[in-house]
Amino acid sequence: PPHVQMASHESLNSESKSSSLNSKLGHELMTVRDGSRTLRPDEPSLVPGEHMEGTAREVTYLCPYTGPKKGTLSVTNYRLYFRSPETDPPFELEVPLGVVSRIEKVGGANTSRGENSYGIEIFCKDIRNLRFAHKQTDVQYPLPIDREMNITVFRRFRILQNFGGYGTGQINEENHSRRMVTEKLLQYAFPASHKLPFFAFEYCEQYPENGWSVYEPIAELKRQGLPNESWRITRINELYELCETYPAVWAVPAAACDNDLRNVAAFRSRGRIPVLSWIHPESQATITRCAQPLVGVSGKRSRDDEAYIQHIMDANAQSHKIFIMDARPSVNAVANKAKGGGYESEDAYQNAEVQFLDIHNIHVMRESLRKLQEVCYPHIDNAHWLSNLEATHWLDHIRCVLSGALRIADKVESHKTSVVVHCSDGWDRTAQLTALAMLMLDGYYRTITGVAVLIEKEWLSYGHKFAQRIGHGDDRHQDADRSPVFLQFVDCVWQIMRQFPHAFQFTEDLLITLLNHLYSCLFGTFLYNSERERMEKEVKTKTVSLWSLILSNQSDFENPLYNPATRHHVLFPLTSMRHLCLWDKYYCRWNPSMRQQEPVHIRFKELLHVKGQLEKRVDELRKELAARQTHDSPRVASAIV
Amino acid sequence: MSSYKRNKPPGGFKTYVDFVEFEERPIDVPEEIVEVKAEPELLPGEIVIAEANNVLKFAPLKTNKTGISGTLFITNFKVSFVTSLPVDTKEAELHERSLQNHFLNVHDVCLSEVDSVNQFSEGSTKKKRLFYNAPLPPRLSGLQLVLKNLRIINFSFKFTPAGEDLRVTQALLHHAFPPTIDHLFLSCGHPPPSPGIPDFCVAQDWERELHRTRCPNWRVSKHNEFFNLCSSLPAVVVVPRDLLDAQLDEAAQHFQGTRPPVWCWGSLAGAALVRMAQISPSITDKQQENRMMGLVHRCHPKKLQPTILDLDQMLPSLKDIQISYMKLRELHTPDDPVQFWEQDRHYYSRWESSRWLSHVSKCLEVAKSAATAILLHNSSVILQESEGRDLGAVISSLVQLLLDPHVRTIRGFHCLVQKEWVALGHPFSTRLGHTRNQIEEQSPLWLLFLDCVYQVSLQHHASLEFTSEYLVALWHAAFCSLHSSFMFNSISAKYTATAVLQRENPHQPIYLRPVWSWWAESQSLLVSEQNGTSENCLGKKHSREAFLNVHYIQSLLESLSATGALRRIRDPLSSAYHTWHRIKFLFESSGTLPFDSSCPVASLQLDTPLRIDVSLSSLKPWKDCFCAWLTEPATLTLNESESLLKRSPPNSQHWKHLYQIYNTLKGHLSDSLTNGTLK
Repeated sequence: PPHVQMASHESLNSESKSSSLNSKLGHELMTVRDGSRTLRPDEPSLVPGEHMEGTAREVTYLCPYTGPKKGTLSVTNYRLYFRSPETDPPFELEVPLGVVSRIEKVGGANTSRGENSYGIEIFCKDIRNLRFAHKQTDVQYPLPIDREMNITVFRRFRILQNFGGYGTGQINEENHSRRMVTEKLLQYAFPASHKLPFFAFEYCEQYPENGWSVYEPIAELKRQGLPNESWRITRINELYELCETYPAVWAVPAAACDNDLRNVAAFRSRGRIPVLSWIHPESQATITRCAQPLVGVSGKRSRDDEAYIQHIMDANAQSHKIFIMDARPSVNAVANKAKGGGYESEDAYQNAEVQFLDIHNIHVMRESLRKLQEVCYPHIDNAHWLSNLEATHWLDHIRCVLSGALRIADKVESHKTSVVVHCSDGWDRTAQLTALAMLMLDGYYRTITGVAVLIEKEWLSYGHKFAQRIGHGDDRHQDADRSPVFLQFVDCVWQIMRQFPHAFQFTEDLLITLLNHLYSCLFGTFLYNSERERMEKEVKTKTVSLWSLILSNQSDFENPLYNPATRHHVLFPLTSMRHLCLWDKYYCRWNPSMRQQEPVHIRFKELLHVKGQLEKRVDELRKELAARQTHDSPRVASAIV
Repeated sequence: MSSYKRNKPPGGFKTYVDFVEFEERPIDVPEEIVEVKAEPELLPGEIVIAEANNVLKFAPLKTNKTGISGTLFITNFKVSFVTSLPVDTKEAELHERSLQNHFLNVHDVCLSEVDSVNQFSEGSTKKKRLFYNAPLPPRLSGLQLVLKNLRIINFSFKFTPAGEDLRVTQALLHHAFPPTIDHLFLSCGHPPPSPGIPDFCVAQDWERELHRTRCPNWRVSKHNEFFNLCSSLPAVVVVPRDLLDAQLDEAAQHFQGTRPPVWCWGSLAGAALVRMAQISPSITDKQQENRMMGLVHRCHPKKLQPTILDLDQMLPSLKDIQISYMKLRELHTPDDPVQFWEQDRHYYSRWESSRWLSHVSKCLEVAKSAATAILLHNSSVILQESEGRDLGAVISSLVQLLLDPHVRTIRGFHCLVQKEWVALGHPFSTRLGHTRNQIEEQSPLWLLFLDCVYQVSLQHHASLEFTSEYLVALWHAAFCSLHSSFMFNSISAKYTATAVLQRENPHQPIYLRPVWSWWAESQSLLVSEQNGTSENCLGKKHSREAFLNVHYIQSLLESLSATGALRRIRDPLSSAYHTWHRIKFLFESSGTLPFDSSCPVASLQLDTPLRIDVSLSSLKPWKDCFCAWLTEPATLTLNESESLLKRSPPNSQHWKHLYQIYNTLKGHLSDSLTNGTLK
């Protein structure tokens, strides 16, 4: 069983955590640390389980905004830390190594030998690149060749060589430490490629709340009123044998027996059969999710699959129709037939209407984000800002995803009709659509606990391949499986939040924290591709859940403007481009010239503070007044000023 | 979980003009409708010219064109649609936040708001523009009004008795495009409540401004009393102390529009902000220009060289601004859902190619450099421009907004607009096209200025006392003929029009109504709740909350929470006293503007100017203004999402706490007053 810590909220621990949490939300850190720990001034304060791995002095950070800064670069098993005493307060930069996507050497024999022409460039998954430079030592020595060294490692060493000045003759301490630091950087940024564990397995912070227990599949289904006469809960996949990317517990139509489920699984890509995501508490209209049917070029049919879809429709007495929402553009759906997939033909599936939602695949999305990054970082081309932004199509894709989800919510809410959602494999676009539709339909998912449940359920348990899409700890930065699918979902949530500022219990700080730790590998939450893999790796017992941090520091994420009455409303956001905005607080957060408005919820908190202050002052004055009157002194109001 | 509120099925007369593709949109209708003869509400002096019955009104871009039925009236003031059916929530919201809601109902449109009238026929997307001087077709099936504030309203005459369609259209075309301004409905019939701000038409107002700014070496001249000097300037102007009135006469002849340079603002240190026209093109001799500049130079106590900003060179031309505006206008008035979605795909690049934001950026940049010259170099700034009535007004106003904290209050902003735009003669009528003439002279400088202010408010959200909703309302207000502030080309044009009206209606008093009077007829919700009052003389009372910036008020309260501030609150010399009175006026005053003229305005203290980032990526398209009337075409069965949750005012929580704080303080202060212990 997962370890449960029930320490009180007032513990010193949680205090210090919330402050470090705040700093993690922000920009490049430029704060002076408190002297509560005895540290060397150029070392970071470490989290439990973190230890220093190396330090290099006389390194220059080439800040794209404020110019080069000379200082000390340290690497721990969790992060990179750079500190320059040149400015007041000292300049600090902290990057969890999990966000590193690739590390490249800069400069070499053919480039000019300017002062900052040698060094490394670190490309990050969170839309920034960092460049560090050092003086090149003039004499280069041949590499010590290790027998076990394969070709990639060889390449990596060439980087080390240039960065660290891999000298054998006059090994000065400086070069040695630089080489060490780069080596450690590579190791801990890409632990998976070095057969090292993720830092999440070392991290041993104690949180008062245990985030691993936030989502219990049975409890969540019970909350939705299941099981009922039309839907049953099954453990057929307890050992992940029927479908290895699905969770152990499913809700399926009661009319389908276990054997039916097996037959349907055979007809759905990767055995991902239609299972229940959400059921409308009044109309019983449902959202179910699955992968594409294995129709193929020959137009194969499965009686069991057809009957199964009919069961889903029959489970909702309100409608004699069912919608099958295929997230893909219809061209892609057709093209999938060649690979054995495809989509449901309306002839075979009686009463079903297939609609295509025109959302593009992971490769298109990855390319769009790459363009967005070019536009946002490090500098913005002011003259063409809006057209460049448009050319990335990022907001176009956001609009597509949002309007697809909106269409699902509308069918379920307004037409009382059940919807089956799938794309190709049902773990990317499908997760976006079902989770967003559920967020619109059910106010529970707009609370802090609720959003945790939503992500645990629709994303993690139903097998969105986080490890593959993010490439946790993996140095193959060009891996075609990487894609910002989850980021898009979070962006969509933010767009809805912007339109309904009172409908969410949390603020965008929670979303940014989610994204920070999507990459950081500090928590076990987003590691691996499926529930099964997480079970095998004992993630729940060996790592801390991100929800532990969030639930233990709820007040940092609470939206003071939240109106709980909105929980009973369905949100139908507007999805035209005119109503969408670039989330600049996230995408442009590294750019100090992007002026950030103080968020309204912070102003509101300040207001409550002022209120308290004023009430206190009034109280003081009252007491003073009362004291004077009891003195009953005839002295004429000597000024208290 | 309860879900989306479902409405009763519609009753009453409702027709579907179009093929109904989607399920009908439910409309809330009272159980029983008593059929009464529809009548528009008329103001004194207003008469009905034509009416058409059984007209259907529908919002554009709705694929499920559910029209609401009613009677369409054309009066000499407005297009009035009278219906017993409830209104669209979006329309209601915008009506609530308008400055003409005292005399226009939610379905009413002032004639001067109409930009163009199109005819359209059912089942076809083709439309044809109708002109006041061209013959009408024999039968009209539908009418589309395009308003100057980017709103589109469609009327269908499908069920209208024959002949009525033509009569209303004729009346509309005849009255909406007057040859001269005095043909508009300008007098409101009632004496308007005092707006409580100076109008800058009398010497006293300018003297007070000189006094407030403490700018030395300038004097008030009444030489333009009969507009002999210059018809676009007010009767009173501020000129260099050493300039004699006779010299003023001579100088004026050399400038375009016979407009001599005038002072509009200055600082204690001596830097003055001066607006000046260019030398007339026919005059080659620059002597007078140099002389005037020399005088400005000499006015400076330290005799520092003035900075001359040639706005014609530095800023886009009025034509460019109009072209940009027309592009944005097209982008925000799509004809049908197809066009809407087509435009939507390129929404942001179309904003960019309109170049509107780049104009905004340039204006802010010039204003910023002028403000820097004044504040850091203590240099006087001369804003030179062809006639000095257009871009000069934009820049001069922005400079003051950046430097002068008083201008950032509602009262101060009103004074600013009254001074720079109304009194100093921005040609509103020509630029906004209030008459049918001079169409090529149109250019929305007023909107450009408001957009600049909007960008400032975005970057400094607690520094302006008013909200961006107020700026939108001021833009919309510029097209309502009853707001005399924005109707005329100059003060003298206003006098001329009034005289004409008086001659035509000798037995009727003429009352022109400044736009600022709205504030005198509104109150805060706090007061309405306490007194249970909800009506004024025109039968409507409106709440101010949408126009008051909660963050600004919050920062006022923040300053009171400082140690010792409360103790000094009764000391008229303390800042706490002033702060408290401002708060009190905001919450309590009814019938007067926030802080009436009895509350003295403190002398100008130049402290920290507002810093603004003018780079294009920091400026945002002003969607609240340009998309105000644009509804997304229905893609869903229910697409009332916007109204569903936004209906509760976004700042209601904020207001609640502000009221509570205010009441606590007020309670305390009245306690301490009765006890008399605290001074």
